[in-house]
Amino acid sequence: VVAFRNTDTSGRTTGLLLRCVLYSLVALGLIIVDKRYDHLGRIRRMLSIVAYPVQIAVASPFEGWDWFRESVSSRAALRADKAKLEAELRVAQFRLQRYDALEAESQRLRALRDSTAGVTDRFIIGNIMDVDLDAFRERVLVDKGAQDGVFVGQAVLDAGGVFGQVARVEQLTSEVILVSDATHAIPVQVNRNGLRTIAVGTGDMTKLKLPYLPTSADVVTGDLLVTSGLGGGFPAGYPVGTVAEVKRDPAQSLADVDVKPAAALDRSRELLFVWMKPPPPASAAAAAPAAGVPAAAAPAAAAPAAAHTTPPPATTVPAKPAKPAKPPAAGANGE
Amino acid sequence: MMRETRIRRLPMALSALVALALAVLPLPAVLEAFRPDFLVLVVFYWSIESPRAGGLTLAFVSGLALDVVHGVVLGQHALALTLMAAWATHLRLRLRVFSMLSQCLTIFALLTGYQFVLFWVDGATGNPVTAFGRWLAPVIGAALWPPLVATLSRMHER
Repeated sequence: VVAFRNTDTSGRTTGLLLRCVLYSLVALGLIIVDKRYDHLGRIRRMLSIVAYPVQIAVASPFEGWDWFRESVSSRAALRADKAKLEAELRVAQFRLQRYDALEAESQRLRALRDSTAGVTDRFIIGNIMDVDLDAFRERVLVDKGAQDGVFVGQAVLDAGGVFGQVARVEQLTSEVILVSDATHAIPVQVNRNGLRTIAVGTGDMTKLKLPYLPTSADVVTGDLLVTSGLGGGFPAGYPVGTVAEVKRDPAQSLADVDVKPAAALDRSRELLFVWMKPPPPASAAAAAPAAGVPAAAAPAAAAPAAAHTTPPPATTVPAKPAKPAKPPAAGANGE
Repeated sequence: MMRETRIRRLPMALSALVALALAVLPLPAVLEAFRPDFLVLVVFYWSIESPRAGGLTLAFVSGLALDVVHGVVLGQHALALTLMAAWATHLRLRLRVFSMLSQCLTIFALLTGYQFVLFWVDGATGNPVTAFGRWLAPVIGAALWPPLVATLSRMHER
Protein backbone atom coordinates (compact mmCIF):
# COMPACT_ATOMS: atom_id res chain seq x y z
CA VAL A 1 0.00 0.00 0.00
CA VAL A 2 1.45 3.32 -1.02
CA ALA A 3 -0.09 5.46 1.62
CA PHE A 4 1.70 8.71 1.12
CA ARG A 5 2.33 9.90 -2.39
CA ASN A 6 3.72 13.32 -1.73
CA THR A 7 7.17 13.40 -3.28
CA ASP A 8 8.22 16.37 -1.24
CA THR A 9 10.30 14.47 1.27
CA SER A 10 12.96 17.01 2.04
CA GLY A 11 13.69 16.78 5.73
CA ARG A 12 13.18 20.41 6.51
CA THR A 13 9.85 21.85 7.45
CA THR A 14 10.67 25.47 7.84
CA GLY A 15 10.12 26.75 11.32
CA LEU A 16 8.08 23.79 12.53
CA LEU A 17 9.26 24.27 16.09
CA LEU A 18 8.70 28.00 15.95
CA ARG A 19 5.16 27.64 14.62
CA CYS A 20 4.39 24.87 17.09
CA VAL A 21 5.51 27.03 20.03
CA LEU A 22 3.61 30.02 18.66
CA TYR A 23 0.32 28.16 18.21
CA SER A 24 0.68 26.41 21.57
CA LEU A 25 1.23 29.73 23.31
CA VAL A 26 -1.84 31.18 21.59
CA ALA A 27 -3.87 28.13 22.67
CA LEU A 28 -2.58 28.36 26.25
CA GLY A 29 -3.40 32.06 26.26
CA LEU A 30 -6.93 31.29 25.07
CA ILE A 31 -7.39 28.69 27.80
CA ILE A 32 -6.23 31.09 30.51
CA VAL A 33 -8.23 34.05 29.25
CA ASP A 34 -11.35 31.91 28.74
CA LYS A 35 -11.05 30.35 32.17
CA ARG A 36 -9.97 33.29 34.27
CA TYR A 37 -11.55 36.30 32.68
CA ASP A 38 -14.55 35.22 30.64
CA HIS A 39 -13.84 37.86 27.97
CA LEU A 40 -14.12 35.42 25.12
CA GLY A 41 -17.89 35.27 24.95
CA ARG A 42 -18.01 37.33 21.78
CA ILE A 43 -15.25 35.35 20.03
CA ARG A 44 -16.89 32.11 21.03
CA ARG A 45 -20.23 33.31 19.73
CA MET A 46 -18.69 34.24 16.39
CA LEU A 47 -17.00 30.86 16.15
CA SER A 48 -20.21 29.11 17.09
CA ILE A 49 -22.00 30.82 14.22
CA VAL A 50 -19.39 29.25 11.93
CA ALA A 51 -19.94 25.85 13.56
CA TYR A 52 -23.73 26.18 13.39
CA PRO A 53 -24.05 25.02 9.74
CA VAL A 54 -22.12 21.85 10.57
CA GLN A 55 -24.41 21.17 13.50
CA ILE A 56 -27.46 21.87 11.36
CA ALA A 57 -26.14 19.63 8.59
CA VAL A 58 -25.61 16.78 11.01
CA ALA A 59 -28.94 17.21 12.76
CA SER A 60 -31.09 17.69 9.64
CA PRO A 61 -31.08 14.09 8.29
CA PHE A 62 -32.37 12.86 11.63
CA GLU A 63 -34.98 15.59 11.77
CA GLY A 64 -35.88 14.85 8.15
CA TRP A 65 -36.37 11.20 8.98
CA ASP A 66 -38.60 12.10 11.91
CA TRP A 67 -40.60 14.40 9.68
CA PHE A 68 -40.88 11.71 7.00
CA ARG A 69 -42.07 9.12 9.50
CA GLU A 70 -44.59 11.56 10.84
CA SER A 71 -45.90 12.48 7.42
CA VAL A 72 -46.42 8.87 6.30
CA SER A 73 -47.93 7.70 9.57
CA SER A 74 -51.26 6.06 8.99
CA ARG A 75 -54.67 7.59 9.50
CA ALA A 76 -55.47 5.04 12.19
CA ALA A 77 -52.33 5.92 14.13
CA LEU A 78 -53.13 9.61 13.90
CA ARG A 79 -56.69 9.02 15.09
CA ALA A 80 -55.44 6.98 18.03
CA ASP A 81 -52.98 9.74 18.81
CA LYS A 82 -55.71 12.33 18.66
CA ALA A 83 -57.99 10.34 20.95
CA LYS A 84 -55.18 9.93 23.43
CA LEU A 85 -54.30 13.63 23.36
CA GLU A 86 -57.94 14.59 23.81
CA ALA A 87 -58.21 12.33 26.82
CA GLU A 88 -55.06 13.81 28.28
CA LEU A 89 -56.30 17.31 27.62
CA ARG A 90 -59.55 16.55 29.43
CA VAL A 91 -57.67 15.35 32.48
CA ALA A 92 -55.34 18.33 32.34
CA GLN A 93 -58.20 20.78 32.06
CA PHE A 94 -59.98 19.13 34.92
CA ARG A 95 -56.89 19.59 37.04
CA LEU A 96 -56.47 23.16 35.86
CA GLN A 97 -59.90 24.17 37.08
CA ARG A 98 -58.61 24.71 40.54
CA TYR A 99 -55.22 25.96 39.44
CA ASP A 100 -56.13 29.62 39.01
CA ALA A 101 -57.65 29.78 42.45
CA LEU A 102 -54.70 28.00 44.02
CA GLU A 103 -52.25 30.22 42.15
CA ALA A 104 -54.01 33.33 43.40
CA GLU A 105 -54.00 32.00 46.91
CA SER A 106 -50.33 31.15 46.67
CA GLN A 107 -49.55 34.65 45.43
CA ARG A 108 -51.39 36.20 48.33
CA LEU A 109 -49.63 33.99 50.84
CA ARG A 110 -46.30 34.83 49.26
CA ALA A 111 -47.12 38.50 49.40
CA LEU A 112 -47.80 38.08 53.10
CA ARG A 113 -44.39 36.49 53.53
CA ASP A 114 -43.06 39.19 51.18
CA SER A 115 -41.24 36.71 49.02
CA THR A 116 -41.77 36.40 45.33
CA ALA A 117 -38.63 34.31 44.99
CA GLY A 118 -39.18 31.34 42.76
CA VAL A 119 -42.33 32.51 41.00
CA THR A 120 -42.20 31.83 37.29
CA ASP A 121 -42.85 34.79 35.07
CA ARG A 122 -42.80 33.54 31.49
CA PHE A 123 -41.12 30.89 29.39
CA ILE A 124 -40.10 30.00 25.86
CA ILE A 125 -39.81 26.58 24.27
CA GLY A 126 -36.55 25.31 22.79
CA ASN A 127 -35.79 22.17 20.83
CA ILE A 128 -32.85 19.92 21.56
CA MET A 129 -30.58 19.71 18.53
CA ASP A 130 -29.54 16.26 17.44
CA VAL A 131 -25.84 16.64 18.07
CA ASP A 132 -23.61 15.07 20.67
CA LEU A 133 -21.45 17.41 22.69
CA ASP A 134 -19.24 15.31 24.89
CA ALA A 135 -19.60 11.65 25.72
CA PHE A 136 -18.56 12.13 29.33
CA ARG A 137 -20.59 15.18 30.25
CA GLU A 138 -24.36 15.33 30.43
CA ARG A 139 -25.11 18.32 28.26
CA VAL A 140 -27.39 19.08 25.35
CA LEU A 141 -27.46 21.77 22.71
CA VAL A 142 -30.72 23.70 22.32
CA ASP A 143 -31.76 25.96 19.46
CA LYS A 144 -32.41 29.04 21.59
CA GLY A 145 -29.60 31.44 22.33
CA ALA A 146 -28.65 34.97 23.30
CA GLN A 147 -30.91 36.45 20.68
CA ASP A 148 -33.93 34.88 22.41
CA GLY A 149 -32.80 36.31 25.73
CA VAL A 150 -31.56 33.04 27.21
CA PHE A 151 -29.03 33.63 29.99
CA VAL A 152 -26.49 31.57 31.87
CA GLY A 153 -27.95 29.89 34.95
CA GLN A 154 -31.50 29.99 33.62
CA ALA A 155 -33.70 27.14 34.80
CA VAL A 156 -34.77 24.65 32.13
CA LEU A 157 -37.78 22.35 32.55
CA ASP A 158 -39.43 19.69 30.45
CA ALA A 159 -42.93 18.26 30.61
CA GLY A 160 -42.00 16.01 33.54
CA GLY A 161 -40.02 18.34 35.75
CA VAL A 162 -36.69 20.06 36.16
CA PHE A 163 -34.34 19.26 33.28
CA GLY A 164 -31.27 21.36 34.09
CA GLN A 165 -29.88 24.83 33.68
CA VAL A 166 -28.22 26.86 30.97
CA ALA A 167 -24.46 26.45 31.12
CA ARG A 168 -23.44 28.55 28.17
CA VAL A 169 -25.18 30.87 25.74
CA GLU A 170 -24.17 31.37 22.14
CA GLN A 171 -25.80 33.68 19.64
CA LEU A 172 -28.23 31.11 18.19
CA THR A 173 -27.88 28.14 20.51
CA SER A 174 -27.32 27.42 24.14
CA GLU A 175 -25.90 24.55 26.10
CA VAL A 176 -27.98 23.05 28.89
CA ILE A 177 -26.35 21.07 31.67
CA LEU A 178 -28.63 18.26 32.85
CA VAL A 179 -29.52 17.75 36.50
CA SER A 180 -27.84 14.37 36.17
CA ASP A 181 -24.42 15.81 35.26
CA ALA A 182 -21.82 14.89 37.83
CA THR A 183 -21.03 18.56 38.44
CA HIS A 184 -24.64 19.66 38.91
CA ALA A 185 -26.44 20.17 42.21
CA ILE A 186 -29.94 21.51 42.88
CA PRO A 187 -31.62 22.52 46.13
CA VAL A 188 -34.69 20.33 46.71
CA GLN A 189 -37.34 19.66 49.30
CA VAL A 190 -39.22 16.48 50.13
CA ASN A 191 -42.80 17.30 49.15
CA ARG A 192 -44.31 15.20 51.94
CA ASN A 193 -42.63 16.87 54.91
CA GLY A 194 -40.67 19.86 53.60
CA LEU A 195 -37.27 18.35 54.41
CA ARG A 196 -34.65 20.39 52.56
CA THR A 197 -31.52 18.99 51.01
CA ILE A 198 -29.46 19.04 47.81
CA ALA A 199 -29.74 16.62 44.90
CA VAL A 200 -26.52 16.09 42.96
CA GLY A 201 -26.05 14.43 39.59
CA THR A 202 -24.18 11.18 39.12
CA GLY A 203 -23.24 11.26 35.44
CA ASP A 204 -25.95 8.65 34.89
CA MET A 205 -29.14 9.99 33.26
CA THR A 206 -31.38 7.70 35.28
CA LYS A 207 -30.09 8.59 38.71
CA LEU A 208 -29.53 11.50 41.11
CA LYS A 209 -28.26 11.24 44.65
CA LEU A 210 -29.03 12.91 47.97
CA PRO A 211 -25.65 12.69 49.65
CA TYR A 212 -26.23 15.07 52.56
CA LEU A 213 -29.08 13.39 54.45
CA PRO A 214 -28.38 11.88 57.88
CA THR A 215 -29.30 8.24 58.38
CA SER A 216 -32.17 9.32 60.60
CA ALA A 217 -33.73 11.64 57.98
CA ASP A 218 -37.38 11.08 57.25
CA VAL A 219 -37.23 10.04 53.62
CA VAL A 220 -38.79 6.91 52.17
CA THR A 221 -38.96 5.27 48.76
CA GLY A 222 -41.54 6.99 46.59
CA ASP A 223 -41.16 10.46 48.12
CA LEU A 224 -41.54 13.26 45.61
CA LEU A 225 -38.75 15.83 45.58
CA VAL A 226 -39.56 19.33 44.41
CA THR A 227 -37.37 22.38 43.93
CA SER A 228 -37.17 24.43 47.09
CA GLY A 229 -36.46 27.69 45.31
CA LEU A 230 -33.58 28.35 47.69
CA GLY A 231 -30.50 29.69 45.99
CA GLY A 232 -32.66 31.56 43.50
CA GLY A 233 -31.63 29.55 40.48
CA PHE A 234 -34.78 27.51 40.07
CA PRO A 235 -38.45 28.34 40.54
CA ALA A 236 -39.94 26.68 43.60
CA GLY A 237 -42.27 23.70 43.57
CA TYR A 238 -41.32 21.90 40.37
CA PRO A 239 -40.77 18.14 40.56
CA VAL A 240 -37.14 17.03 40.43
CA GLY A 241 -37.55 13.31 40.99
CA THR A 242 -38.87 10.54 43.18
CA VAL A 243 -36.85 8.65 45.73
CA ALA A 244 -36.04 5.26 44.24
CA GLU A 245 -34.03 3.67 47.00
CA VAL A 246 -32.90 4.53 50.52
CA LYS A 247 -29.96 2.60 51.93
CA ARG A 248 -29.25 3.12 55.60
CA ASP A 249 -26.01 1.70 56.83
CA PRO A 250 -25.91 2.01 60.66
CA ALA A 251 -22.14 2.38 60.48
CA GLN A 252 -22.43 5.50 58.35
CA SER A 253 -23.71 8.85 59.50
CA LEU A 254 -25.23 9.71 56.12
CA ALA A 255 -27.91 7.79 54.25
CA ASP A 256 -27.41 6.71 50.66
CA VAL A 257 -30.45 7.89 48.71
CA ASP A 258 -31.01 7.30 44.99
CA VAL A 259 -33.47 9.49 43.11
CA LYS A 260 -35.12 8.85 39.78
CA PRO A 261 -35.31 12.14 37.83
CA ALA A 262 -38.79 13.39 37.01
CA ALA A 263 -37.76 14.89 33.67
CA ALA A 264 -37.32 12.55 30.71
CA LEU A 265 -33.63 13.38 30.49
CA ASP A 266 -32.90 10.90 27.72
CA ARG A 267 -36.12 11.32 25.73
CA SER A 268 -37.30 14.92 25.84
CA ARG A 269 -37.12 16.99 22.67
CA GLU A 270 -38.80 20.20 23.81
CA LEU A 271 -37.54 22.17 26.77
CA LEU A 272 -38.93 25.18 28.60
CA PHE A 273 -36.65 28.08 29.44
CA VAL A 274 -38.09 29.79 32.49
CA TRP A 275 -37.89 33.42 33.55
CA MET A 276 -38.61 34.14 37.18
CA LYS A 277 -40.04 37.27 38.68
CA PRO A 278 -37.26 39.44 40.01
CA PRO A 279 -37.21 39.62 43.81
CA PRO A 280 -38.88 42.78 45.08
CA PRO A 281 -36.51 45.67 45.80
CA ALA A 282 -36.04 46.58 49.46
CA SER A 283 -38.55 49.46 49.42
CA ALA A 284 -41.21 47.34 47.73
CA ALA A 285 -40.56 44.53 50.20
CA ALA A 286 -41.22 46.91 53.06
CA ALA A 287 -44.45 48.06 51.45
CA ALA A 288 -45.65 44.58 50.53
CA PRO A 289 -46.75 43.40 53.99
CA ALA A 290 -48.64 46.63 54.47
CA ALA A 291 -50.49 46.01 51.23
CA GLY A 292 -50.81 42.29 51.86
CA VAL A 293 -52.37 42.36 55.31
CA PRO A 294 -55.43 44.43 54.48
CA ALA A 295 -56.00 42.31 51.40
CA ALA A 296 -56.03 39.18 53.52
CA ALA A 297 -58.17 40.79 56.14
CA ALA A 298 -60.66 42.08 53.58
CA PRO A 299 -63.80 40.10 52.77
CA ALA A 300 -62.85 36.82 51.13
CA ALA A 301 -64.76 37.62 47.97
CA ALA A 302 -62.72 40.72 47.18
CA ALA A 303 -59.27 39.26 47.56
CA PRO A 304 -59.52 36.35 45.09
CA ALA A 305 -61.21 38.60 42.57
CA ALA A 306 -58.43 41.16 42.84
CA ALA A 307 -55.70 38.56 42.76
CA HIS A 308 -57.37 36.68 39.98
CA THR A 309 -56.81 39.44 37.48
CA THR A 310 -53.02 39.43 37.82
CA PRO A 311 -51.72 35.84 37.72
CA PRO A 312 -52.99 34.58 34.36
CA PRO A 313 -50.67 36.69 32.19
CA ALA A 314 -47.85 35.80 34.56
CA THR A 315 -48.11 32.04 34.61
CA THR A 316 -50.78 30.35 32.58
CA VAL A 317 -50.05 32.00 29.25
CA PRO A 318 -46.94 30.53 27.65
CA ALA A 319 -45.23 33.75 26.68
CA LYS A 320 -44.37 33.82 23.02
CA PRO A 321 -40.72 34.20 22.17
CA ALA A 322 -41.00 37.95 22.10
CA LYS A 323 -38.17 40.38 22.73
CA PRO A 324 -36.93 39.85 26.28
CA ALA A 325 -37.63 42.94 28.27
CA LYS A 326 -34.58 42.80 30.49
CA PRO A 327 -31.92 40.29 29.54
CA PRO A 328 -29.08 41.90 31.53
CA ALA A 329 -31.20 42.18 34.65
CA ALA A 330 -32.34 38.59 34.19
CA GLY A 331 -28.77 37.47 33.77
CA ALA A 332 -27.75 39.14 36.99
CA ASN A 333 -30.73 37.55 38.68
CA GLY A 334 -29.88 34.09 37.44
CA GLU A 335 -26.35 34.12 38.77
CA MET B 1 3.92 25.94 -7.10
CA MET B 2 0.97 28.11 -6.21
CA ARG B 3 -1.37 25.84 -8.08
CA GLU B 4 -0.01 22.76 -6.39
CA THR B 5 -0.72 24.16 -2.94
CA ARG B 6 -4.25 25.06 -3.87
CA ILE B 7 -4.99 21.59 -5.14
CA ARG B 8 -3.77 20.14 -1.88
CA ARG B 9 -5.92 22.40 0.24
CA LEU B 10 -9.35 21.50 -1.08
CA PRO B 11 -9.30 17.81 -0.03
CA MET B 12 -7.72 18.94 3.21
CA ALA B 13 -10.57 21.30 4.07
CA LEU B 14 -13.21 18.85 2.82
CA SER B 15 -11.94 15.91 4.83
CA ALA B 16 -11.62 18.10 7.93
CA LEU B 17 -15.24 19.26 7.55
CA VAL B 18 -16.52 15.72 7.16
CA ALA B 19 -14.51 14.65 10.21
CA LEU B 20 -15.93 17.57 12.20
CA ALA B 21 -19.45 16.48 11.23
CA LEU B 22 -18.61 12.93 12.39
CA ALA B 23 -17.44 14.37 15.70
CA VAL B 24 -20.92 15.73 16.48
CA LEU B 25 -22.97 12.99 14.80
CA PRO B 26 -25.47 11.71 17.34
CA LEU B 27 -24.70 8.16 18.41
CA PRO B 28 -26.61 5.83 20.72
CA ALA B 29 -25.48 6.44 24.29
CA VAL B 30 -23.84 3.00 24.43
CA LEU B 31 -21.57 3.75 21.48
CA GLU B 32 -20.79 7.31 22.46
CA ALA B 33 -17.78 6.47 24.58
CA PHE B 34 -16.30 4.55 21.67
CA ARG B 35 -16.37 7.43 19.21
CA PRO B 36 -12.92 7.77 17.64
CA ASP B 37 -11.40 11.23 17.18
CA PHE B 38 -11.87 11.38 13.41
CA LEU B 39 -10.74 14.97 13.06
CA VAL B 40 -7.52 14.25 14.95
CA LEU B 41 -6.73 11.34 12.62
CA VAL B 42 -7.40 13.51 9.58
CA VAL B 43 -5.13 16.24 10.92
CA PHE B 44 -2.39 13.68 11.54
CA TYR B 45 -2.76 12.39 8.00
CA TRP B 46 -2.31 15.84 6.49
CA SER B 47 0.56 16.68 8.83
CA ILE B 48 2.38 13.62 7.53
CA GLU B 49 1.30 13.89 3.91
CA SER B 50 1.82 17.58 3.19
CA PRO B 51 3.09 19.55 6.16
CA ARG B 52 3.86 22.55 3.98
CA ALA B 53 0.25 23.08 2.96
CA GLY B 54 -0.44 24.36 6.44
CA GLY B 55 -0.52 21.24 8.58
CA LEU B 56 -0.12 23.13 11.84
CA THR B 57 -2.60 25.85 10.91
CA LEU B 58 -5.11 23.14 10.06
CA ALA B 59 -4.41 21.52 13.43
CA PHE B 60 -4.93 24.78 15.33
CA VAL B 61 -8.12 25.72 13.48
CA SER B 62 -9.55 22.18 13.79
CA GLY B 63 -8.75 22.26 17.48
CA LEU B 64 -10.64 25.51 17.90
CA ALA B 65 -13.60 24.02 16.00
CA LEU B 66 -13.58 21.02 18.36
CA ASP B 67 -13.48 23.36 21.36
CA VAL B 68 -16.54 25.17 20.08
CA VAL B 69 -18.62 22.12 19.18
CA HIS B 70 -17.70 20.26 22.37
CA GLY B 71 -18.35 23.39 24.42
CA VAL B 72 -15.19 23.12 26.50
CA VAL B 73 -12.70 25.81 27.48
CA LEU B 74 -11.51 27.57 24.32
CA GLY B 75 -8.00 26.47 23.32
CA GLN B 76 -7.99 23.02 24.90
CA HIS B 77 -8.28 20.90 21.78
CA ALA B 78 -6.29 23.52 19.84
CA LEU B 79 -3.34 23.09 22.19
CA ALA B 80 -3.46 19.29 22.19
CA LEU B 81 -3.89 19.07 18.44
CA THR B 82 -1.12 21.58 17.68
CA LEU B 83 1.39 19.77 19.87
CA MET B 84 0.58 16.34 18.52
CA ALA B 85 0.41 17.48 14.89
CA ALA B 86 3.86 19.04 15.29
CA TRP B 87 5.11 15.75 16.66
CA ALA B 88 3.53 13.88 13.75
CA THR B 89 5.15 16.29 11.29
CA HIS B 90 8.47 15.74 13.00
CA LEU B 91 8.08 11.96 12.67
CA ARG B 92 6.67 11.99 9.15
CA LEU B 93 9.73 10.82 7.19
CA ARG B 94 10.11 7.85 9.47
CA LEU B 95 6.38 7.16 9.45
CA ARG B 96 6.34 6.87 5.68
CA VAL B 97 8.69 3.90 5.66
CA PHE B 98 7.10 2.20 8.63
CA SER B 99 5.01 -0.92 8.14
CA MET B 100 1.31 -0.40 8.67
CA LEU B 101 1.48 -1.98 12.14
CA SER B 102 4.26 0.33 13.27
CA GLN B 103 2.34 3.26 11.85
CA CYS B 104 -0.71 2.25 13.88
CA LEU B 105 1.38 1.99 17.03
CA THR B 106 2.86 5.44 16.42
CA ILE B 107 -0.61 6.86 15.84
CA PHE B 108 -1.72 5.20 19.06
CA ALA B 109 1.08 6.97 20.92
CA LEU B 110 0.14 10.31 19.33
CA LEU B 111 -3.55 9.85 20.17
CA THR B 112 -2.70 8.93 23.74
CA GLY B 113 -0.57 12.05 24.00
CA TYR B 114 -3.50 14.04 22.64
CA GLN B 115 -5.85 12.58 25.25
CA PHE B 116 -3.27 13.28 27.92
CA VAL B 117 -3.08 16.98 27.05
CA LEU B 118 -6.90 17.15 27.09
CA PHE B 119 -6.95 15.35 30.43
CA TRP B 120 -4.38 17.75 31.84
CA VAL B 121 -6.25 20.86 30.68
CA ASP B 122 -9.51 19.39 32.03
CA GLY B 123 -7.86 18.94 35.40
CA ALA B 124 -6.14 22.35 35.36
CA THR B 125 -9.38 24.16 34.55
CA GLY B 126 -11.20 22.42 37.35
CA ASN B 127 -13.54 19.92 35.74
CA PRO B 128 -11.70 16.65 35.51
CA VAL B 129 -13.29 13.81 33.54
CA THR B 130 -11.96 10.68 35.13
CA ALA B 131 -14.15 8.26 33.19
CA PHE B 132 -12.03 5.41 31.96
CA GLY B 133 -13.78 5.53 28.60
CA ARG B 134 -11.69 8.42 27.32
CA TRP B 135 -8.61 6.22 27.14
CA LEU B 136 -10.43 3.88 24.74
CA ALA B 137 -10.49 6.45 21.95
CA PRO B 138 -6.74 6.10 21.12
CA VAL B 139 -7.08 2.33 20.67
CA ILE B 140 -10.05 2.68 18.33
CA GLY B 141 -8.41 5.57 16.51
CA ALA B 142 -5.23 3.59 15.90
CA ALA B 143 -7.27 0.67 14.58
CA LEU B 144 -9.02 3.03 12.17
CA TRP B 145 -5.77 4.46 10.80
CA PRO B 146 -5.25 2.01 7.87
CA PRO B 147 -8.74 2.46 6.34
CA LEU B 148 -8.51 6.21 6.87
CA VAL B 149 -5.15 6.42 5.10
CA ALA B 150 -6.50 4.33 2.23
CA THR B 151 -9.56 6.56 1.86
CA LEU B 152 -7.72 9.84 2.12
CA SER B 153 -4.90 8.88 -0.22
CA ARG B 154 -7.46 7.80 -2.85
CA MET B 155 -9.24 11.12 -2.49
CA HIS B 156 -5.89 12.85 -2.76
CA GLU B 157 -4.94 10.98 -5.92
CA ARG B 158 -7.73 12.48 -7.98
